[in-house]
Amino acid sequence: MDCVVTGGNVKVLAKAIHSLSRIGDELYLEPQEDGLTLRSVNSSRSAYACFLFSPLFFSRYAIPDGHGFRCKVAIKSVQAVFRSLATLEKTVEKCHIELDGEKSRLTFTLHCKHGLLKTHNLSFQDSESLQAVFDKDASTNVLKAQPRLLADTVLNFPPSLEEVTVTVSDERVWFRNYVDQDAEPSKAMLTELCLSADEFDHFAVKAQSSVTFCLKELRGLLVFAESTGLPISMYFDGPGSPVVLSVTDSVLDTNFVLATLSDESAVRQQNPKRAGTPLPPLDDFMNDELESYLIAMDTSMAPGPSFRSLLFGSVYPTGSPLSNLTVAGQKVLASDSEEDPEGV
Amino acid sequence: MKFRSKIIDIGCLNNFTRVVTTISKLTKTCVLRLTPDNLYFVLSGKVSNGGVAMWCELAQANFFEEFQLEGVSVEANEICLELAPDNLSRAMKTAQNAKAVKIKLTKKHCPCLTIAAELPTMSSVSRVVTHDIPVDVIPRRLWNDFKEPSMPDFDVSIYMPPLKIMKNVVDRMKNLSNFLVIEANMNGEMNLKIETDLVSVTTHFKDLGNPPWGGDGSQTGAASQRDLETMVQVRVDIRKLQQFLMGQQFNPSKAMCNIVQNTILHLILLYEDVSLQYFIPAVA
Amino acid sequence: MPLSTQSQDSDAQYILVASLDNVRNISNILKAITFKDHAIFSATPNGLKVTVEDSKCLQANAFIQADIFQEFTIKGDSVGFQVNLTVLLDCLTIFGGSTVPGVSTALRMCYMGYGYPLTLFLEEGGVVTVCKINTQEPEEPIDFDFCSSNVTNKVILQSESLKEAFSELDMTSEVLQITMSPNQPYFRLSTFGNSGNAHYDYPKDSDMMELFQCTQTQTNRYKMSLLKPSTKALALSCKVSVRTDSRGFLSLQYLVRNDDGQICFVEYFCCPDEEVRDD
Repeated sequence: MDCVVTGGNVKVLAKAIHSLSRIGDELYLEPQEDGLTLRSVNSSRSAYACFLFSPLFFSRYAIPDGHGFRCKVAIKSVQAVFRSLATLEKTVEKCHIELDGEKSRLTFTLHCKHGLLKTHNLSFQDSESLQAVFDKDASTNVLKAQPRLLADTVLNFPPSLEEVTVTVSDERVWFRNYVDQDAEPSKAMLTELCLSADEFDHFAVKAQSSVTFCLKELRGLLVFAESTGLPISMYFDGPGSPVVLSVTDSVLDTNFVLATLSDESAVRQQNPKRAGTPLPPLDDFMNDELESYLIAMDTSMAPGPSFRSLLFGSVYPTGSPLSNLTVAGQKVLASDSEEDPEGV
Repeated sequence: MKFRSKIIDIGCLNNFTRVVTTISKLTKTCVLRLTPDNLYFVLSGKVSNGGVAMWCELAQANFFEEFQLEGVSVEANEICLELAPDNLSRAMKTAQNAKAVKIKLTKKHCPCLTIAAELPTMSSVSRVVTHDIPVDVIPRRLWNDFKEPSMPDFDVSIYMPPLKIMKNVVDRMKNLSNFLVIEANMNGEMNLKIETDLVSVTTHFKDLGNPPWGGDGSQTGAASQRDLETMVQVRVDIRKLQQFLMGQQFNPSKAMCNIVQNTILHLILLYEDVSLQYFIPAVA
Repeated sequence: MPLSTQSQDSDAQYILVASLDNVRNISNILKAITFKDHAIFSATPNGLKVTVEDSKCLQANAFIQADIFQEFTIKGDSVGFQVNLTVLLDCLTIFGGSTVPGVSTALRMCYMGYGYPLTLFLEEGGVVTVCKINTQEPEEPIDFDFCSSNVTNKVILQSESLKEAFSELDMTSEVLQITMSPNQPYFRLSTFGNSGNAHYDYPKDSDMMELFQCTQTQTNRYKMSLLKPSTKALALSCKVSVRTDSRGFLSLQYLVRNDDGQICFVEYFCCPDEEVRDD
């Protein structure tokens, strides 16, 4: 792969990498016909993020013919390439990215003001493709908001807060801090913010529901959305099925897929608004299968007690009867990986 | 027991937030005493908090548009709550642009002080944020622990130098030493001193002035009997003084310091009609 | 002014008296060499030289000429002592080191001789602080024997462009490798970290390059941990001269302009880390 990013797009790329660094430790790169994808997944497999930059995003975009190539690198080392985010726009004129499969080298060359040339040669590992399978258009509920609205909302919660519960009705959304069951209830402050549908660019709620997910990744995406000024769309069904956060424009497509708490009893019960939240139908048989399969395939990952791992998919081979799970009621991440179970 | 109140004025909101934030910087937990006329934030000088005591008093009428209180009984028309001031401070900070803020005592999963703020939006409907802060209701038999501390019979009373300068000096001194000697006389002079194996540092303030305590009887005590020039000193844990100087967000109109020789340092900040008193015990 | 009313008679007992209207003019430059506690002060009629060393491989010197001071009186040819620099800096900035124009701390620094403390009188807005810092007998600074006649390569850069590079250095790299050459890459900084290597190349015709005098290609490595403190000097400076001698010793000279526009110098010497293998 050989591509060039110029002008303001260098900062967009840098912000995307910083957003991805909120998710996981590794950056998966995959140059494809329809653009360059950058992905990351967290260690408990409960959060996945993908940025697709279309060829038009680049001033040059060339990929080798033939079979697809992909790799993963330590995300910290790529972040280091774009360390001076604040001055990036003023100093970097052009960024050249070269992926050399033979030398196993990923090279970022920044052409800066005053003729300064910064070359970063990063070593990488081959990787399986990291692919989430989700169908956000089939979601029951869709909300779209300017990043400012969500940023203001998040500001009401302390930076240390890990999870937030979002509840929707026909015309309102409630954000609440999620308090762990283990926490002493008499110690924790409960914060609740109520937004009216009017504040959203788009508000389509087909079923009242309530989902709990990690705030860290949302914060990460907000940094990106705020810097690009693009609205964020949120797609979700109900407890246990992932929430998808999307930011798109003509040259980029970004999706953050976050697991939600599956056990709704863990959510605070005292609030009447939560009562009667319809749970989406679950196919118990399929769920059981999946869980046991996951445990069989991979003992290294220990998902948190309440978040369901999203990445069942990345560990089972293509052709497995389970690989085509999007048809099931439960959306999961899947993979078109060939044979690399330990790589994930 | 009932309590509900409302703040509308943005200036009152800011001032109240400043007071609460100051308290939160000084202590992790404290007691909030509510009476029909006043609010008090109280920390009693127990060993568990290093013997430091705090007393902050606000007249409710200066902050609240509405203030309804029904205490535990007619003759004890008060409510005493233990809470984490940091929670209250965080809640108030999210309400900085609010059109109105309601503060009330509620029964949720546990007794709570509920802060509800109506935030302005671009749309026609307001945004509402509520914070439920868990509180412990203090039974009446323990109220005696949270009465206003009596003014110590100080040996010297002096106005403090600009707190920002004092903070800078104390910050540096803290890098050099764990203890600080503060000394003052009735001639408007105050010294801050540290001494270690490596260095000795003394900062001299003068022309600070001494408050006229004529009316309240203290003047007839030890202070008046001393020679104007004689220095009275107290040695304190420098971190406690630093915490006070860092935490205060009052921009006080008056700041005073009373010293009881080798016993206690008593600091008083006044801002309009809010008063904050802070007591730091001497160390040997 | 309390400082000026200090009895002039008492000055007679001091072997060194230096006073300054704005303490930042000395505290800033001392910050640029603060990486170890011990600092050797040597005063001559020309001014003050303050030296800090680390593991016999790194030496930093700050030079404050006599005319930076409003008063600089010394008895004899030279006066030397050693003090704890961190303590001295806390004392010099006791009032917070305000950068507000018009607010400055005045300093009077006095030394009576061997066995006596270094005494500082600091005054800001009528408040006076007196500090007595214990002194020790000065150690002999290392002579790096770096002379300009042995310099093989030299470049002078505007500090701005090096600041960026130093702020981005890969600290997982044990060394910083400096290549200077009459041919490409001219002036190159390289790191070799956990996840790869990085090269920063400055062309000789860059408008950041004020002087380019490289006679032969030279590549040397210096311990990152030793060079890191020099970032403080870089941050304060407006120009930096990078020189290497035939042995590969590195000299970094920083030109620092103080609040009053006067010029001071800070110099770092560093030994090369190892012979460079070709790779």
